[in-house]
Amino acid sequence: MNPYLWFATSALVICLASCFYHFFRLLEFGKPQDYSKPLGEITPAVKYSFTRAMDPRKKESAFLHLPTYTAGIIYHLGTFLSIALFTMFWLKYVPSGWFKLIIIGFLFLSSICGLSILVKRIIKKNLRTLSNPDDYISNFLVTAFHFITALTLVNNKLFPVYFIAAGVLLLYLPIGKLKHTVYFFAARYQLGVFYGRRGVWPPKQEGF
Amino acid sequence: MEKLTKEKIKQGLEVLDAGMDGKLFTHLNSCVHCGLCAESCIYYLAFPEGKFIPATKVDLISSIYRRYITFTGKVVPGLVGARKLNDETIVEITDLFFGACTMCGRCVPHCSIGVDISYLVRKGRQMLAKMGYVPESLQSTINTALKTGNNMGITEQEFIETLKWLEDDLRFEVNDDTACIPLNEKGRNIIYTLNPREPKFFPLSISAMAKIFHVAGESWTLSTQMYDATNYAYYSGNHDEAGIITQYLFDEIQNLEAKTCVLAECGHGSRAFRWEGPNYLKKEYPFEVITSVEILANYIREGRIKVDPEKITECVTLHDPCNLARTGGIWKEQRYILRRSVKNFVEMAPNGIDNLCCGGGGGQLAMSEYNERRMKTGELKAEQIRKTGAKIVVTPCHNCVDQLTQLNITFKLGVQIKTIAEIVADSIVPQDQKVISKNESVEV
Ligand code: SF4
Ligand code: SF4
Repeated sequence: MNPYLWFATSALVICLASCFYHFFRLLEFGKPQDYSKPLGEITPAVKYSFTRAMDPRKKESAFLHLPTYTAGIIYHLGTFLSIALFTMFWLKYVPSGWFKLIIIGFLFLSSICGLSILVKRIIKKNLRTLSNPDDYISNFLVTAFHFITALTLVNNKLFPVYFIAAGVLLLYLPIGKLKHTVYFFAARYQLGVFYGRRGVWPPKQEGF
Repeated sequence: MEKLTKEKIKQGLEVLDAGMDGKLFTHLNSCVHCGLCAESCIYYLAFPEGKFIPATKVDLISSIYRRYITFTGKVVPGLVGARKLNDETIVEITDLFFGACTMCGRCVPHCSIGVDISYLVRKGRQMLAKMGYVPESLQSTINTALKTGNNMGITEQEFIETLKWLEDDLRFEVNDDTACIPLNEKGRNIIYTLNPREPKFFPLSISAMAKIFHVAGESWTLSTQMYDATNYAYYSGNHDEAGIITQYLFDEIQNLEAKTCVLAECGHGSRAFRWEGPNYLKKEYPFEVITSVEILANYIREGRIKVDPEKITECVTLHDPCNLARTGGIWKEQRYILRRSVKNFVEMAPNGIDNLCCGGGGGQLAMSEYNERRMKTGELKAEQIRKTGAKIVVTPCHNCVDQLTQLNITFKLGVQIKTIAEIVADSIVPQDQKVISKNESVEV
């Protein structure tokens, strides 16, 4: 195995181990005991939490901030695509033809979205106050990863740089806010449990 | 403000350390600082500054958690924004957790991730309570409840006198000399609770409920010992005191052998007793607990009372108390009642589980030091009301009634503020009465 790939692979192992550690700690802490008598059901509420409750028409964080929301969605899709490509590269498969061109185009677009989110954080006073170095670093590393992935598809001589960038990102992921990769799902689940028990989610029909 | 000591820090951190569970761990680690929750909060809408963004409140508690409990926060605090607890942070935290959040929870479903912001603020208040930083104004209300059994310090004699003249009024109103407000009766179907503001300032809401129970032929009672549905220790975050107050009511329900406790129109009282109470006491209740809104809706649905919408023809709107609707699941019921009891019901926007807090929640009405902020955040509600063109604003919460009454005067809204029970009592159609004997019970 070449040293760059070895570095990225080791980073992946460390990253996955850390994510599992976070996940198992979550399980270990367990659910808080709730003695109140439920008014609703948890399972449909958890389903609702992951589906219709995420509808951008329902969330002010989406519909009041459409440009940022759209940029955020593209940025996250770019991240999923980059992760998928990392797996492909690791398996020594490199896309080609039209497929490759589409991927390159999308990754450039997601890099621009990531950059715009970073610039917004830098120039908006309220966001600056809210931010710590980790916010900038996380945003920068992910954006750079999208960009380098796209460049590597254009010029495969860049693979060493690519694997270094991937390795750095994977090593950093469990340290800062990027670990929301794990906690996002836990938070949606917890919300579903809370609102489900209290009969708030899924919203009742008229006539209750 | 008392100086922070090592001992206080230790006590505060226990909430995050010894009190850690999967839910707290999740929410402490989930915020990504996107700031997109800002416009969902009445404080940020009223004061568009960074410190009023819900995420700032999340960050206050999670930065302390990171600093003292996580490896990264201990090793590289600057990188992850981990903060030390010191006199300066205590001032900031107290101001934001007590004076800049009503724990209304509106930001929560709007958060891009799903961070339970109001839950974290509650945890923050719990830390402050452990460290002895509950605002004195709020604490004095709690002390009164602990000492006298009700947060207004009403004596039993004063309470009974009020109920006696309300009973005379009831007899006159329903034209039935057997009509009564049963006191301390054992084995009744229902024990009804009150917000102490009712006997003190708004006795008509007690008459309204008594009239409805009478027409419905309900088997009910009031306790003259312990009738307070409120629990301000829920707001202060002092779980020990919240537990004692819950226990008072629990014991009285058991003592009177009531089958069901019906909670007065009180948002936080409903939440504190129905949802948090069993957890304060660490046991399930052996009796049913429902809100008066639910029982009124049931009476109408089951035909136990009849209402005539022609009796209230003015335009009526509804304010949903956050703790009853958004975190209590009761918001269709009040609409069901109003659509049948008044001729012209209009919704304010937004409403239901997305309603804006009136600004008086979270104990704000008990903390006079934040009055200016409270009225400024309340202006949003005043504007919502004005836009509906309604002449009557109904709300199933005496705390909200209080805030709306102040908004009505300050912003010259020219509306009447009423509870759901008052609306139902005004629109009720008299029926043939049947008197319920002590041992007779009617299923709820
Ligand atoms: S919307 Fe949620 S994740 Fe974003 S800053 Fe606000 S609390 Fe944090
Ligand atoms: S709970 Fe309500 S008052 Fe508190 S931050 Fe969220 S929206 Fe604002």
